[in-house]
Amino acid sequence: MAASRLGDRMSVAGCVSPTLLKQVASVVRSKNAGPLCLTIDLFFSRRCDYELAVASTGLSTQAVAALYSVQPAQVRRFDLPDILAIKLAMPRALCAGEPGDGDVYGAQQHAPLLEVSL
Amino acid sequence: MSAVAKLLASHQPGAERLRVLSASGQLGYGIAAESFERGLERRPHFIGCDMGSIDPGPYYLGSGQMAAPQAMVRRDLELVLCAARALDVPLVIGSAGTAGALPHLQATLMLLRVVAQAHCLSLRVATVASDLPPERLVEALHSGRLRALDEATPGAGLPDETQLRSCSHIVAQCGSHTLMQALRLLPDVVIAGRSCDTAIYAALPMMLGYDPGLALHMAKIIECTSLCCVPGGRDAMLAELGEQDFVLESMNPGLRATPSSVAAHALYEQADPWRVDEPEGTLELHQARYEAVDDRRTRVSGARFCLRASPTLKVEGAARVGARAVLLAGVADPGLIALLPQALTEVDVRVHHLLPGPWQMVPHLYGHGAVRPLPESQRSQHELGLVLEFLAPDMEQARTAAAVFKQNLLHFGYPGRLSTGGNLAFAFTPSECDAHDSYRFVLYHLLEGVDPEQVFVVDVQDWAWPENAT
Repeated sequence: MAASRLGDRMSVAGCVSPTLLKQVASVVRSKNAGPLCLTIDLFFSRRCDYELAVASTGLSTQAVAALYSVQPAQVRRFDLPDILAIKLAMPRALCAGEPGDGDVYGAQQHAPLLEVSL
Repeated sequence: MSAVAKLLASHQPGAERLRVLSASGQLGYGIAAESFERGLERRPHFIGCDMGSIDPGPYYLGSGQMAAPQAMVRRDLELVLCAARALDVPLVIGSAGTAGALPHLQATLMLLRVVAQAHCLSLRVATVASDLPPERLVEALHSGRLRALDEATPGAGLPDETQLRSCSHIVAQCGSHTLMQALRLLPDVVIAGRSCDTAIYAALPMMLGYDPGLALHMAKIIECTSLCCVPGGRDAMLAELGEQDFVLESMNPGLRATPSSVAAHALYEQADPWRVDEPEGTLELHQARYEAVDDRRTRVSGARFCLRASPTLKVEGAARVGARAVLLAGVADPGLIALLPQALTEVDVRVHHLLPGPWQMVPHLYGHGAVRPLPESQRSQHELGLVLEFLAPDMEQARTAAAVFKQNLLHFGYPGRLSTGGNLAFAFTPSECDAHDSYRFVLYHLLEGVDPEQVFVVDVQDWAWPENAT
């Protein structure tokens, strides 16, 4: 993963700029689905952007698992072509409100995805 | 004749659509009166409000406190009760007082009573208590009827007997079956403790003979009022339910329920976009269709409800961790910022030596990954916000630990220190504050093989006021 990150940065410094999720998504949101589960919804306005995101390795369950420090098997992904949306669900690191939890609602856990290059 | 009796006697599916007005997704935070009144002009057959959720964390369930401020809860209750009585239609309120345990139900009932008395409204109120004694869960644990919601989730294992007994409140989410039981008592108002958001809006239509799949899907969408619109809002939402479909319309003319905004809402706070588990079965959304009626209204059809062989109840329980004091401070010295984790550990050891006891410091270092783990390169080097939690059996010890910790961190000598005037910036003093009690979820599990009628206590009371009362 570190190597591909480095690759992205080099291409920014070079001439080809990668498309970042935050540039093409219309909504990137996270929220609890119950106190044990985090769910992330990505919405797109254009079908081409949705298709780019669906095909991107940056949003594979493996890549998302690495980004959130969970096991790939714990990430569930649903592609919803009818509404140009991708849904991700995974366990929370800590149950909501447990001492040490920093986001009771899980509403700011979308941030690592914003910079994902597609 | 009560409002529910009147509706059951007068409405027949097929003759006209059932108009359901969702007034609030979080009663007690200020219902937008203009949109609500526009909804009333449409002559709804009944009004529903959701009042609670598990979202705000374990504190409310554990402590029995309401999340919404009492004055605003009273204001919202007044708005919906007076409207329901003026139209003589049923009012259904679910998850009373945030977490829906007995203290929440009682507090909500008390406020409703104050409003009813102030307006001389005589009414019949059905209540549903959703509390479970720990013994019921212990028994279920031993007989293998308590199950983790997601067996793959770490930490989602089963609590032990001691943990179950440590819960200050345990509730189960009641479903449509239980609310129908309450409605059969022919009240004007139903106030339920912890309940499925869907049951609030689906129970009456199901009693009237509407398709459970349609009724539950409608309920699932409108329980958040106008959140399913573009732009999303908190304004009252109207659903017109027929035998084949339902039509959604926000009561704020600026908000549009479009096929994609409504379909997208099915994803909200759901781990699985296609399935919604209810106590009595599963709502399947694979076949759901969304079509525009015009630019502000969407017609929805196609959801199916599959009954489960035996009901399962979602149970929630919270236990006290301790009293919590917090210390708020900022750090601007890059030398200290770089060393802060070690500094906190050293001060922690020192203060534990000064103040022996079972207290614990939980750091939240804003700028260093308090919200989510931050890679080194993204950590702030020039300003850090410190929220240090001190958890102890009682507030006196938590507060003492916070104060002693503060002073020791303020003057902590670290290698290369230049700022001998003090290590912390306080926005105000005292910078240590009492922060209620800390609770944790012990239970968020499934209870199997139970008869809801043996769990939920359904009751009814009649309120009448002398005519000259003020």
